[in-house]
Amino acid sequence: MKIMSSFLKIFTIMVFLFLYSPIIVMIIFSFNESKSLGVFTNFSLKWYEKVVTNPEVWRALYNSFWVGAVVTFVSIVLGLMMAMAVTRYSFSGKSILESLILIPIIIPEIAEALSLMIMYIFLNIPLGPVTVIIGHIAFSISYVTVVMRARMAGYDKSIEEAARTLGANELQTFFRITLPTLYPAILAAGLLAFTLSFDDLIKTLFTTGPGFKTLPLVIWSSAARGGVSPELNSLSSFALSISFIFALFRLRTERSVGR
Amino acid sequence: MDTLLKYIRRNVKVKVTLLLAPPLIFLAIWFYAPFMIVGLYSFDMINIYREITFTPSLTHYSKVLSWTGAAGIFLRSLYFAGVTVALCLLIGYPVAYYISFKVKKYKDLFIILFIIPFWVSFLLRTYAMMSILDERSIFNTILVSIGLINSPIKIMYTDAAVILVMVYDYLVMMVLPLYANLEKLDKSLLEAASTLGADPVKTFLKVTLPLSMPGIMAGFLLVFIPSVGEFVIPELVGGPNNYMVGNIIYEIFMGARHWWTGSALSMLFIAFILSLVIVYVRRVGERGLAI
Repeated sequence: MKIMSSFLKIFTIMVFLFLYSPIIVMIIFSFNESKSLGVFTNFSLKWYEKVVTNPEVWRALYNSFWVGAVVTFVSIVLGLMMAMAVTRYSFSGKSILESLILIPIIIPEIAEALSLMIMYIFLNIPLGPVTVIIGHIAFSISYVTVVMRARMAGYDKSIEEAARTLGANELQTFFRITLPTLYPAILAAGLLAFTLSFDDLIKTLFTTGPGFKTLPLVIWSSAARGGVSPELNSLSSFALSISFIFALFRLRTERSVGR
Repeated sequence: MDTLLKYIRRNVKVKVTLLLAPPLIFLAIWFYAPFMIVGLYSFDMINIYREITFTPSLTHYSKVLSWTGAAGIFLRSLYFAGVTVALCLLIGYPVAYYISFKVKKYKDLFIILFIIPFWVSFLLRTYAMMSILDERSIFNTILVSIGLINSPIKIMYTDAAVILVMVYDYLVMMVLPLYANLEKLDKSLLEAASTLGADPVKTFLKVTLPLSMPGIMAGFLLVFIPSVGEFVIPELVGGPNNYMVGNIIYEIFMGARHWWTGSALSMLFIAFILSLVIVYVRRVGERGLAI
């Protein structure tokens, strides 16, 4: 029994090492002075300098942010409508609706992205930021709806009725009571939608037009072209720090709201 | 205006319709309609001039189904995904078990430490793995310099690389449902088993393992589905000999530009994934999906 316990402990520690070492190696070698990936010679920020002075990186980062912001806003509005309809009212065809919401989460993104691209081309829709945003919203609505529905499960409708009795109209009730009460759900779903859009590669790859790149696209094209390089190490570490900040935000909201 | 508002207020059906119409119309146009177009292509109902014709035919399906290369790649995808699931289970079960049963004080800390690497986006995790698997990587340098191996391990662009990176990227999908399942497991049952004379091995095999089947099933589905449809990992760490279904669909669409064959293959692939999920939901129930 004792032996079993220590075996499990060592095994778990090794799995943690397996999980952390690639990321740590990538970060360490982004500070390496030489081009070598195997020997660390000297600490240097020169690869970061290259990344930070590259206008393509900043443009891509800017694109990622504003695309993510638009996607988050629209998918929250649409997802909130869907979640409210599903949690508050009973109607026929609800189970069909629920599977229609789940299917975008299940289908492999490559099939989804290529199909959307084919429709864009079939309908002669010019590819660019708008087509990327539409593509992102098409999958994030489902995630937003699922998260919101889970968080809205214990929603107490009586406060809305109280507001109505006290003379507030529908709009006032919605903006003063419903929306603030749902704030944690909206925040959680919004952060998820933003992360999904910010990190998305496949949908963006096939629905973007000439010249419009997001950060994952820049990383992808240079990884697919030249494999591992110190410059890409530093760009990836830079991108990693951004996703980390968002993850911390998400952890905080999850903590404060409870699961 | 006022009477209209009153009408909406009273009628639940109208309210539901108003709430559902915008998101459903969006999904219908930008998620479901693309698959209809692909469906039309697959049945040869769109010609090269992008005109819809009403003469469906199964030629592209029969072409795909009689093409042995496609069958081989499909089998390889199943094999890659199957090995990935098996490895995730072999690696993930002990970890989930250890955190759930053996860690007393810092359970949350362990789980957060486990999740942190998965905060890093999927693409960056894949790239980080590339920086380790590379022939020139520090691991190879160390292993060669201490004399454990004579020449660097050449793992990039092999089946093993694809599977290893998939395990790295999807391990969390196995561990989290397993952990949630083991946490909910009534631990007094284990005590009962040992009081009744079962040794630890027997307790594990007869009590713990069967009771954690729902977690295993959920983990299976959550790892298997993204693995079998994987596109990015074989593209980055695999060579042309390690392609999976996703890559071949991509090649047919973008390389050969034969949208009809690509569509037929896509439709078959989607049908396969959906039927897998339907079988799962039938057997486990819909709650199995809501993790």
